[in-house]
Amino acid sequence: MKEQSIGEFEELVLLMVAALHDEAYGVAILENLEEKQGKKVNISAIHVTLKRLEDKGFVISRYGGITGERGGRRKKYYIITALGKKLLDSQYALRTSLYQQIPKISFG
Amino acid sequence: MCLSPPKYPLRFLRWFCREDYLDEIEGDLIELFEKRVEKSPGKAKRRFVWDVVKSFRWRNIRSFSRSQNSNYTAMLKHTIILSFRSFRKYKTTFLINLAGLTSGLTCVLLIYLWVNHELRVDKFYKHADRLYQVFENREQSYGIWTAETNSGPMAADMQTDFPEVEYVTGAASRGKATLTIGEKNIKSDYIYAGKDFFNVFSVTLLEGQADHVLADKSSIVISADMAERLFGDASNVAGKTVRFEHERDFVVSGVFETAPPTSSFQHDIIISIDLIKDQYAPVWNYNNTFVKTYMLLKPGTDADEFNKKLEGYIASKVKGETNRTAFVALYPDYYLHGKYENGQMVGGRITYVKLFSIIAGFILLIACINFTNLSTARASRRMKEVGIKKAMGSGRTALIYQYLGESILVAVISLMLALLTAYLFLPQFNVVTGKQLAIDFDLKMIAGALLIAVVTGFLAGSYPAFYLSGFSSSTVLKGQLHRSIGELWARRGLVIFQFAITIVLITSVLVVYKQMDMLQSKDLGYNKDQVLIFPREGKLESISTTTTFLAEVKNIPGVINGSSTDHDMTGHNSGTSGIYWEGKDPNDRSEFENLSVNYDLMETLGIELREGRTFDRTFGADSSKIIFNETAIRYMGLENPLGKTIKLWGEDRQIIGVVKDFHFESLHSAIKPVFFILTGEEGESFMVKIAAGREKEVVGKLAELHTSFNPGFPFEPRFLDQDYQGQYQAEKRVSTLSGYFASLAIIISCMGLFGLAAFAAERRLKEIGIRRILGSSIGQIVYMLSASFSKMILVAIVIAIPFSYYIASSWLAGFAYRIDLEWWYFGVSGILALAIAWAIVGWQTFKVASINPTKCLRDE
Repeated sequence: MKEQSIGEFEELVLLMVAALHDEAYGVAILENLEEKQGKKVNISAIHVTLKRLEDKGFVISRYGGITGERGGRRKKYYIITALGKKLLDSQYALRTSLYQQIPKISFG
Repeated sequence: MCLSPPKYPLRFLRWFCREDYLDEIEGDLIELFEKRVEKSPGKAKRRFVWDVVKSFRWRNIRSFSRSQNSNYTAMLKHTIILSFRSFRKYKTTFLINLAGLTSGLTCVLLIYLWVNHELRVDKFYKHADRLYQVFENREQSYGIWTAETNSGPMAADMQTDFPEVEYVTGAASRGKATLTIGEKNIKSDYIYAGKDFFNVFSVTLLEGQADHVLADKSSIVISADMAERLFGDASNVAGKTVRFEHERDFVVSGVFETAPPTSSFQHDIIISIDLIKDQYAPVWNYNNTFVKTYMLLKPGTDADEFNKKLEGYIASKVKGETNRTAFVALYPDYYLHGKYENGQMVGGRITYVKLFSIIAGFILLIACINFTNLSTARASRRMKEVGIKKAMGSGRTALIYQYLGESILVAVISLMLALLTAYLFLPQFNVVTGKQLAIDFDLKMIAGALLIAVVTGFLAGSYPAFYLSGFSSSTVLKGQLHRSIGELWARRGLVIFQFAITIVLITSVLVVYKQMDMLQSKDLGYNKDQVLIFPREGKLESISTTTTFLAEVKNIPGVINGSSTDHDMTGHNSGTSGIYWEGKDPNDRSEFENLSVNYDLMETLGIELREGRTFDRTFGADSSKIIFNETAIRYMGLENPLGKTIKLWGEDRQIIGVVKDFHFESLHSAIKPVFFILTGEEGESFMVKIAAGREKEVVGKLAELHTSFNPGFPFEPRFLDQDYQGQYQAEKRVSTLSGYFASLAIIISCMGLFGLAAFAAERRLKEIGIRRILGSSIGQIVYMLSASFSKMILVAIVIAIPFSYYIASSWLAGFAYRIDLEWWYFGVSGILALAIAWAIVGWQTFKVASINPTKCLRDE
């Protein structure tokens, strides 16, 4: 199987999905991302990224129930898959090992 | 307070978004909106719109082709199949429609090509919006005459006197000149031009710099075409030497791109205007005019303001000259708007451009009317189809689309045929218009043609579409025909309209032909036939050689007479107001036409003498004599003019003869006062009168003689009557084209009438059968059926007469000499239309009426 690649924004969204666990849907991801990053993100960018992650098999989705809010539209919740978790783990390991190779130089 | 998200963006989102994504996307957007709206409703709305726009991406857009579109394609297919079936079933109707629309569209296409060309003439210059020509309004006894020529020093003076002028150049054309390289002699049009000529006119210079090419007197600038003909190659020509008129060497200083067909400057050779200034030094002043002046005004200059400044300009240069007022007008407009009357612009070629566009439109309209009429007439045939469709649940819009689709389909097929016919007729059309038009299939042309076809289809099909789709299914299926009076009248009205246009066209053609005939056969007061005209150039420019040459010319068998003259007899050549007689009003600045001639010219041209004598060598001192025409004598109010003395340019001249009036200008203008004097210089060109039937042999001998006198000068004579015809080119075009158009209009209208008549006769087949059995004769039946058509044509005649009268008289108003509009022009065209209509309707009904009644009553 071809090595799955993942972009920076995709990784952020995937991390968010994992972090929000079972409560991850478009608006929640958007708000958390904006809060953590401190910059504006457009909702459609999140939607597209989620679709892409789903296509790649990193997340799966399910619909919530119909409520009176949201114009009667259902929420779509995303959960990270084992594959997604594995990818995050390997990314984390890669980054940590690279980070540790940085010589101890003071940037004062 | 409950604010809802903006309606239209939401609707748009729902329209484009895929169903399986909609819950998530719409839900999230609305949730965000609901959260934001509490802070600021306006901002929330704006962000919602922005979110919708951002969500409009390929991934989210649903597939339109798979889902609901199948119905559209199926309906389209259905419409096309039904259209072709109905074409096959009603072949005559279809062919009439097709032929009519095709000829209409062909007309429109050809006229479009021509109009497009005319509109582009002289518009291609880079600074076309500030490229001006200087004109002069001159007050004459007969009104204001707007002249194109200015005084020689004017161009240079305007450059220094007006800061608004960026570049200015004079230009004077003097016919053709011969250029020589070795043994090669090439003759072509040449002009003298000022040094800024190429700054004023943005013609691309392939070699040389615009500022320098005409800077000195030994420079010559030639066109790329000329360079190729002379040197075999247009590159690296600069610096080479060519001989001009076998008398002077010039150095090629530049080569310019050969003028496109849309340029009215079609000269191949340009030399410095300083040369003509030296040559004509005595007349290079403000009292004489023979140079045209062109200029670039600086950007932002207002032409009206500039013209105000120009008002007293000529008067400031010549004392007492108050009847000449200079003004500028855009040069690129001059081609289409070049006709001035009494100092006012009154049109020009634009009149014909408009006229032909209108005619083409009308012909297309006639074809559309055929379509409308035949479709509504045959509506009863398709009623069952409409009824059944409606009963099966088809909506009215679907039916309208179907019938419109059918007519647009016919129009598009016609368009393709029309492109083909236009292509086939283009060479012929080019001959008539004198242009080099070509169909280029660029995007603009294709889009334009398609648009015309769709509009035509819509125009032709909209009435039948709305009419047919309006039937109620129950009445139609019960077999009740509902025929409203309104519908019948609409159809009659359209036929009347069609024939009115046709009759107007026939009358116009008759009038144009009659007028042209009059122009051809009018006694001009001199005989233009078999007169050969050719320039006096090279060695023949010496007076003694001219005399010898003329003597030898007269010895050629078949030559009746020969002479030389300054005047080419086709249009204004040169005039002067420097003529004084006893009792002249000192303020009168009217110009007399100056005919400087050699001995024998009046005899050569057959100008008739009323009294006195013509110039004659035996009298000796004729160079101080003068001859007038009758108009001039009348204008001066002289009684017993013979022997009286007048002053010309300050010198006394005795009147020795008066000639009968003759036309030296086209018949658009009235005869002007004319005087003849003997030219000391023997004139610009030769005129030789040849005996009828011996032209070919004499021209051959003349060519030999000319070559022996003037080796190296190509002998290119013209016949005077050809030059005469050239004055009426525009009218000739009108007469030929209107002839074609009128016949086309007649044919299309008649095809429509034929269709209607055939249909009417067919519908009344049973009635005819019963009438025949009860004892009607065929004649009575034909009469019965033709009567209603005759009434329509009669109404059309009544409507058409005032229009044709108006059109014909306003066209004729452009001629000083014109035919009278007689009643029979209108009568003849009316009767012609009626006769054609009768012939068609009569023949058609006769065919039906002579069917054996048993046959037509037997079916069912």
